[in-house]
Amino acid sequence: MLEVINASKIYGEGEAKVTALDNVSLKVENGNFIAVMGPSGSGKSTLLNIIGGLDQLSSGEVILDGNRIDGYDENALVDIRRGKIAYVFQQYHLLPSLTALENVLLPLIFAGKGKNEKDALEILKRVGLEKRASHKPSQLSGGEQQRVAIARTLVMGPSLILADEPTGNMDQKTGNEILRLFTELNEEGRSIIMVTHSAEIAKQAKEIINLQDGQIVDRNTHFQIEVPCLTRRY
Amino acid sequence: MKLYQIVGKDIMRRKKRVLYAALGVVIGTMTVVGILTIAFAGQAKIYKQLEQYGPNLTVIPAINNLDMKLGNLSMGTLTVGENYISEDQLPKIRQIADSKIREALKITDEGDIATIAPQLYENTKVNGVSLVVVGIEPQEELKVKTWWDVGKGEYLSGSDDALVGAIAADLLKLNVGDTVALNQTNVKVTGILTETGASDDYQIFIPLQTVQSAFNKEGVISSMDIRALCNACPVEMIAESINKNIPGVRAIAVKQIAQSELGLVQKMNGMMFALAGITLVVGLFGVVNTMMSSVHERIKDIGIMRAVGASRKQIVRIFIYEAVLIGIIGGIAGYLMGTAMAYIIGPLVFEGTTVYFVPQYFPVALLVSIFVAVAAAVYPAMKASEIRVADSFRSV
Repeated sequence: MLEVINASKIYGEGEAKVTALDNVSLKVENGNFIAVMGPSGSGKSTLLNIIGGLDQLSSGEVILDGNRIDGYDENALVDIRRGKIAYVFQQYHLLPSLTALENVLLPLIFAGKGKNEKDALEILKRVGLEKRASHKPSQLSGGEQQRVAIARTLVMGPSLILADEPTGNMDQKTGNEILRLFTELNEEGRSIIMVTHSAEIAKQAKEIINLQDGQIVDRNTHFQIEVPCLTRRY
Repeated sequence: MKLYQIVGKDIMRRKKRVLYAALGVVIGTMTVVGILTIAFAGQAKIYKQLEQYGPNLTVIPAINNLDMKLGNLSMGTLTVGENYISEDQLPKIRQIADSKIREALKITDEGDIATIAPQLYENTKVNGVSLVVVGIEPQEELKVKTWWDVGKGEYLSGSDDALVGAIAADLLKLNVGDTVALNQTNVKVTGILTETGASDDYQIFIPLQTVQSAFNKEGVISSMDIRALCNACPVEMIAESINKNIPGVRAIAVKQIAQSELGLVQKMNGMMFALAGITLVVGLFGVVNTMMSSVHERIKDIGIMRAVGASRKQIVRIFIYEAVLIGIIGGIAGYLMGTAMAYIIGPLVFEGTTVYFVPQYFPVALLVSIFVAVAAAVYPAMKASEIRVADSFRSV
């Protein structure tokens, strides 16, 4: 279980001070699927970064499975990234010089388990890309690149997947395919926190959180709410 | 798959960048190898000259000229001592020379070490021209006078053979095959030396025993040259010991001139090495620079690697691996270019010196260049490892 308690994040100082997160508290039970919505600059990505230890809190606590991780040092955070938490980004963030398979292998290599090419291939198969294993990211479509990125998170078997607008760069059809993958992963028991702009996508989640000016203005399991940012074009 | 393989793949994608970074190391290593190679050639030349000075020691009769003075009035000079050295002294001198060399070089071998070439000088007239006839032991003399070159005919082999200096041959109009009468003994000219620029040019060389019997000087010699055949031989000690233990002779070490020249070369080498060191440091900063820009270029990649579980140490290692590769490229290219540089510049620095490539400098070049590249990578690598994942994506 993940718990965020009174989390605040302030960038800059003095007049340039920006409050990205303002006293946010949040509980995510194991196996939940939460969509985080809100206008640009509302603190969605900051919330994800803080949960995953990619960014540091100005105040507050992040507790993962009973351990307070916001104060973790670099090495402890590395351990968390090597198993418990994994990221999927809007820009896929694959290494351009490596093939799909090698990108999937990357977390294993860093974790000192570089000899698991079979496992990596198996996971690529799972996301439907076994025939693209030796392609470089530049030879793959956006949807395929995101599948590789998802496969990359799966090799370490994370219990929590943080996804920052994973379908943001895709057409609806591709986006839905990626979303289906996330739903499957959630059904396997993994918790997912996904930032999205699309109400369509958010509907597939179990819960929706609405952020505005760094605060949670709404948390809902109903999907009929109209969200003000839906008119945003992307 | 291993971390270094990832580094390799990444480097293949950024070949030009990496080569550019290697350039700084190449220039530094090139300078070091070039200077080393030139210095080596210069030293070799001096050693060769040292050899060409011939003997390391000359032993002559101990003649004392005593100035006879009465108040301020000079009464002339009184010469005390023999003009010759007895051949009996030869084994004693050899024993001193060999034992000193054995001591210095820690040799246990029992055979003769030093070459001892005795000479007997006699003034005589040939065809009415007055000149010096030198009795020599042909094989020993040749070892001492390494610069001798028989221009016409052959070197001495029989006891009645004569080797004529270039100018003497010219003055006497002697040719190979001619016969020369020396004090009623006839010798045949078998060879004529090319000009040496030394007194050799004016002399006629004949086997020692022939001269001794022709001039009734059996059992004596005028001087001897001792050649220790090594540059580290303790010639001063040998000279001192001979002077102390053998009466009637004086031994003189003749190594000093070449040695002072060697000292000069070493001083010059020192200066050139300082220059090479500066070039290395400049190259190092060049690599720091390109590495830093490489860090900036790859902020996103570093962020990705951190996000998927790379530790700080692993990020540092990635840059160090790259530095090692840059070092290897720099070492190979630097060695080749440095040697090429030596071939071009060497002959200009030490006139007429032939430069040879020195394979032993290759590992030196490799080590120096890897060291410089890795040293240059440390700071950028530390910087890279401090990149925060969130920041790296924000900057893209």
